[in-house]
Amino acid sequence: MNNREKIKDLKRSLSKLSKSIDELKTDDKEEISESLPENNYKGFAQAFRIVSELFANLLVGASIGWTLDYFLDTKPILLIIFLIIGLISGIYTSYKSAMNWQK
Amino acid sequence: MAEKHSPLDQFSIHRIFGEIKIGEIDVSFTNSSLMMIIVLVLLNVFLLLATRKKSIVPGKLQCLAEMSYEMIFNTTRDNLGSNGMKFFPFIYSLFMFILLCNILGLVPYSFTVTSHIIVTFAIAFSIFLFATVLGFIMNGHKFLRLFLPKGVPIYLAPLLVPIEIVSYISRPISLAVRLAANMMAGHTMIKVFAGFVVALGVFGVAPFLFIILLYILETVIAFLQAYVFAVLTCLYLNDSFNPSH
Repeated sequence: MNNREKIKDLKRSLSKLSKSIDELKTDDKEEISESLPENNYKGFAQAFRIVSELFANLLVGASIGWTLDYFLDTKPILLIIFLIIGLISGIYTSYKSAMNWQK
Repeated sequence: MAEKHSPLDQFSIHRIFGEIKIGEIDVSFTNSSLMMIIVLVLLNVFLLLATRKKSIVPGKLQCLAEMSYEMIFNTTRDNLGSNGMKFFPFIYSLFMFILLCNILGLVPYSFTVTSHIIVTFAIAFSIFLFATVLGFIMNGHKFLRLFLPKGVPIYLAPLLVPIEIVSYISRPISLAVRLAANMMAGHTMIKVFAGFVVALGVFGVAPFLFIILLYILETVIAFLQAYVFAVLTCLYLNDSFNPSH
């Protein structure tokens, strides 16, 4: 009987402790992010960079393929090939820029 | 009435002094050109005023000028090295021009020059041409190494070279699209919410508060996109210096 109550008490204090630790941790995080205002918008710029790179690569691939098709009379084949190349290079470019951010 | 208050109306270009033509080319003075001239004049006045006193303890204006100078100086040095510091004036003026275009575009009744993709594309494409020519001048045929990095097995070349070429050509387009799309999207959104304020009457307070928040966001984006443009220009110029990276 006595032992059970002791265990209950200990558990309660343990949960209190972990709660207060969590609170301290979130406070710390907020302080860090507040001290670096440019960090709040960095992700925004990075996201826009990746989107524009994907889009631009696809566009360039498609236009190269279409132009080559137009002059070589191979109507859809080169367009399809260069669209795929554009897609791959878009992913490749954004992969490279993402790897640069990690450094 | 309804057409006049379209959210896209702010992007329309109109001639100010009537039509001027050289041969077939329309060179009329538009609101876009007026805005660019205002930006240039303001930029020069600001920098001249800010650096006039040259006091050791800087005032507000001088502090602003020094902050922007130092920021771009550090960015250029980090990305281009001390060898590339001769491009610092170019990158600094590019950054300040785009920044002021973006920020002045936020003033009501003004015009955002950088929201037109042809303007940003003209800037980005001239940088691209310059970087390419510079790369060939500095490295000769070795500049083509950019398209086939060292240590890549030769049987991968037919796959990798087209990818690298497409990736290289897409640079000015991604630069131009990013800046123009950011500016246009933000300004359109502000106008749309401004329309809600009028339409909702008393309840228009909610979108009005939202517009205030949007304006803060837009100011940050104006700054951020100008900075990203400058940083990427540095990176592209860096590729012309050392193509085998």
